Amino acid sequence: MDINQLKSLLLKGDPEFWAQLQSLTQSAHDFGELFLLSSLRKKAHARKLAKPDAPAKKLRLALVGGYSLYPLHELIEHLCELENHPVELWQGDYDNYLSEIMDDDSELYSFAPQVVFMLPAERRCIYTGKLTDPRELVQAEAQRAVDSLLELARKVNEKTGAEVITTNFMLPARHDLGAFRSRTLGSDWAFRKWVNLELGLAAPSYLHICDWSFLAHRHGGLAARDERGWFESKQPCSSALLVELAREVSHLIFSLKRAPKKVLVLDLDNTLWGGVVADDGLDGIELGDTSPRGEAFKAFQKYIASLKQRGVLLAVCSKNDLARAQEPFQKHPDMVLKLDDIVSFKANWEPKSENIRAMAPELNLGLDSFVFVDDNPAEIEIVRQFVPEVTTILLGPDPSEYVGQLADSRLFEPRNITAEDAERTSQYRSDVQRKALESSVTDMGAYLESLQMEAVISEFTPVDVPRLSQLINKSNQFNLTTHRRSEAEVTAVMNDENFIGYSVRLKDRFGDHGLISIVIGEKVGETLNIDTWLMSCRVLKRGVEEIVLNELVRLAKWKNCPRLAGVYLPTPKNEMVRDFYGKMGFTLTAESEAKREFELRLENFAPRETKIKIVRQAYAEK
Amino acid sequence: MTQAEVIAQLQTIFDTVFLEPVVLTPALSAKDVPEWDSLTHISLMVAVEKSFGVRFRVGEVENTKNVGEFADLILKRKQEP
Repeated sequence: MDINQLKSLLLKGDPEFWAQLQSLTQSAHDFGELFLLSSLRKKAHARKLAKPDAPAKKLRLALVGGYSLYPLHELIEHLCELENHPVELWQGDYDNYLSEIMDDDSELYSFAPQVVFMLPAERRCIYTGKLTDPRELVQAEAQRAVDSLLELARKVNEKTGAEVITTNFMLPARHDLGAFRSRTLGSDWAFRKWVNLELGLAAPSYLHICDWSFLAHRHGGLAARDERGWFESKQPCSSALLVELAREVSHLIFSLKRAPKKVLVLDLDNTLWGGVVADDGLDGIELGDTSPRGEAFKAFQKYIASLKQRGVLLAVCSKNDLARAQEPFQKHPDMVLKLDDIVSFKANWEPKSENIRAMAPELNLGLDSFVFVDDNPAEIEIVRQFVPEVTTILLGPDPSEYVGQLADSRLFEPRNITAEDAERTSQYRSDVQRKALESSVTDMGAYLESLQMEAVISEFTPVDVPRLSQLINKSNQFNLTTHRRSEAEVTAVMNDENFIGYSVRLKDRFGDHGLISIVIGEKVGETLNIDTWLMSCRVLKRGVEEIVLNELVRLAKWKNCPRLAGVYLPTPKNEMVRDFYGKMGFTLTAESEAKREFELRLENFAPRETKIKIVRQAYAEK
Repeated sequence: MTQAEVIAQLQTIFDTVFLEPVVLTPALSAKDVPEWDSLTHISLMVAVEKSFGVRFRVGEVENTKNVGEFADLILKRKQEP
């Protein structure tokens, strides 16, 4: 398919136009090409050629900044629409962002944006004094530049509740000042570096950094800029970097509401080491500092270990004998990864697609949170065909490029690393021990008692907001309504008298599960509507469901609501809770394809018994 | 290269960028073609610079009044070493 074929689809009014436009957009990296595709998209709209499967709801996105936002906004709109997250755009005027934000009556606020993207002007991020001024003086001015950006973001968030994305500042690429540029904080080079760093470190959770400085660095400093474009039409950067910037913004917008991947499934031979361990033997595989290839494989393992450290679960899927496959993990001195690092180890002769499919229930995770890497195209293909939910990466051919391939996949980017992410591997490992105990104890009650569980129930607190939003946005299976909420939206619930919101943390003698359940209720008259009820599947059937319900009833009484109303909204992933309310003693009041509604009258409710010790209840001080 | 040859090469670029066919003549200007808005103009300029291997100087494209003058500008920039 080329551009002329695409145009003829458009002229014929063929809806296939959209699928082809999407595939050309994914492969387009040149500004001219992408821009042309965007103009064809707009022409399709003008000709009323509707995009099939287009979501009805558009995200309201405002763009403001110290540059011309045209044609950047076209690219952003295009990329978002073709990723099936269409946006409704509002654009500020050129270099009018300060007053648009500070004026309470500005059009920005009547637009009511959900996300605001801000490009502050780099010409205001300079030190105006002398290069030889004392460091404290320059630093104070840099801090003022940071503070004024933070203040703009705060104001936007406070007025609209929107998430704010701001660019930081590109660094200069000319030789001006020579080696002296790094020996004074007053050079643009050093000043902007300091501002970028402080801005990122001080950003509150509703403020997201679009790291323009990094994008320009990756692209090449000189190629990132276009002076002519600035003088002619106030363009922020070269058209090539504009494409990167637009892709980054759309990536950031999606990741506000999309969870990163959780499991990395690794092949072994020619993935973690060079050669085939069953043929070459433990001494024959290439791994470690004795050869360049061996070094490359070891570096790849180190990178994988760093992913584990930030919370990614590691699994192995290899066509091998289990004993042969595990031997390097136990005996090879240059193995960075150990058996302890692997939460699920599948080495057998079954198809890899079946092995990966079997991992999902073992780890209580959906297949769409799995990433599979292999150097063998046939194995990648079988997984693509038979478990299409799994994301695959074909490694190679050169092992020195493995780290780069994985690092550029953008699949494991944390928004805010929480301490609990890093703890996850040990949680899953203790799950395995717990399951061993479970199978040895026949009496479920005695088993649960032996776990010595303790729960802390807490109303939403500002410090929990990132973790709450993270769980709300990634939880799929035990989730009655799958209502997603950004951090700003969670904060809004926390501050609204008509809402109750609480979370449960669970510990047992094998470890701390962290925050595992969230409930949001809204008081409407004499009913408490259960807006959100979700739970991590790792703690299914341990009594958490019951203590959550007990608490819900207690809080409903506190809010003078004699009735609880719950609804189940089906998704492809939450079948497991279809009958949950029924099992919990609720009565079905209405049922349709789109939802099942339930109620519970509190006079009919007796608190449920569990084996969990409640250490604290929500809104404890009230 | 002559002006006519430049315009012939421009024609192929216009055929790609525009949905409705436009026949280029030296006297044609943007206001004669409804589809030739500022958006399409950006696409055109990017494609022209790439296709002819030229880079216009700041502000000079704006000063050309029609396709003929634009073709002359391309010629002038092409003749530079």
